[in-house]
Amino acid sequence: MCSRSVPPSMREVTSMTVEKSLGCLDQAAWEDLVARFGARMWAVARAFGLNHTDAADAVQGAWLRMVENLDGIRDPERIGAWLVTTTRHEALRLSRGRRGEVASGHDLPDAVLPDPAAAIVDADFGRHVWERLDTLGEPCRSLLRMSVLRPEATYAQIAIRLDISPGSIGPTRARCMSRLRGLLEEPA
Amino acid sequence: MRDEYLLAALRMAAGADPVPGRVSADARAAFHLRLPGGIVATPVEISGPRGARSGGGAPDIPEDEGPGVRRFAVTGLTIDVEAVVADGRLEVAGQVSPASGAETDARPDSGPSAEPGTGWQVEIRTSHLSKTRDLSENGRFAVGGLPTGWVSVVCHRPGEPPVSTRWMHVRP
Repeated sequence: MCSRSVPPSMREVTSMTVEKSLGCLDQAAWEDLVARFGARMWAVARAFGLNHTDAADAVQGAWLRMVENLDGIRDPERIGAWLVTTTRHEALRLSRGRRGEVASGHDLPDAVLPDPAAAIVDADFGRHVWERLDTLGEPCRSLLRMSVLRPEATYAQIAIRLDISPGSIGPTRARCMSRLRGLLEEPA
Repeated sequence: MRDEYLLAALRMAAGADPVPGRVSADARAAFHLRLPGGIVATPVEISGPRGARSGGGAPDIPEDEGPGVRRFAVTGLTIDVEAVVADGRLEVAGQVSPASGAETDARPDSGPSAEPGTGWQVEIRTSHLSKTRDLSENGRFAVGGLPTGWVSVVCHRPGEPPVSTRWMHVRP
């Protein structure tokens, strides 16, 4: 039997609890989900370097996947992680499409399993990451700052700004991200 | 720890790129695109020759199927959809095909390949606009002038649950 299900307050997307079947969500509960997770979903889509139109499509795609899966999402307790993970899938698909990569077969994603790693998409955790990022040396600090704050910047623009060769940006960024992850794994 | 999630957390903390109002509005409006009691058809690979307008393709593929056709199916019903962008607007065409022998309007002249029953309609839905069309005798439909982005086709049959395709992304 359906009754109003209002997700309780939460700090991490993985601890989200929806008390009743998702198929019973009413408008207020739905809007609550939008308010809680919309910013996370937008941040993930933009982190792929998508422009505003494509990022908006990725986010809306995740909501529409939820619309078509309301009765099939088996773990409503992790709906936040499901939404963020689905946004990532849609953003990745759009990003690949923009690069001209052709999907094999039909390009519609199968059922998405919530990724526990999505829990880190959180402003509080982000502030902690900024503290660690600012301890990195150059060019990592500037390169990652640009990656975060100017996701649409082209390699040519980054190369000019940081005075490094365009061909080295990808490998350098990968090394810098690896260093950042290493710092985050160290005890505080 | 995925790079995109780390970058997203950093972006949220920076607060420099808030969610545009229209993105939130579209997300809230998606609630009304639910289809209570509906059935979501499963995407089906079309393995035969594509664009075989001259015929001679796989026997289960319509002769005039174009290269962008996507097929969705549930028991007893197949929906083929082709969505293209022309002059910045979305054009959607396709065909609804009951399985041969499926319960339809049971017209005696319907032949071995069943045709849609009386009152069958398709609703072509986008995030912002929906259009409904009666099916032709052979189950075909076409709609133009829709906004690009996400689109889904719903088949409405009197006395039966609606059957929808998955949401498809169509943007130039």
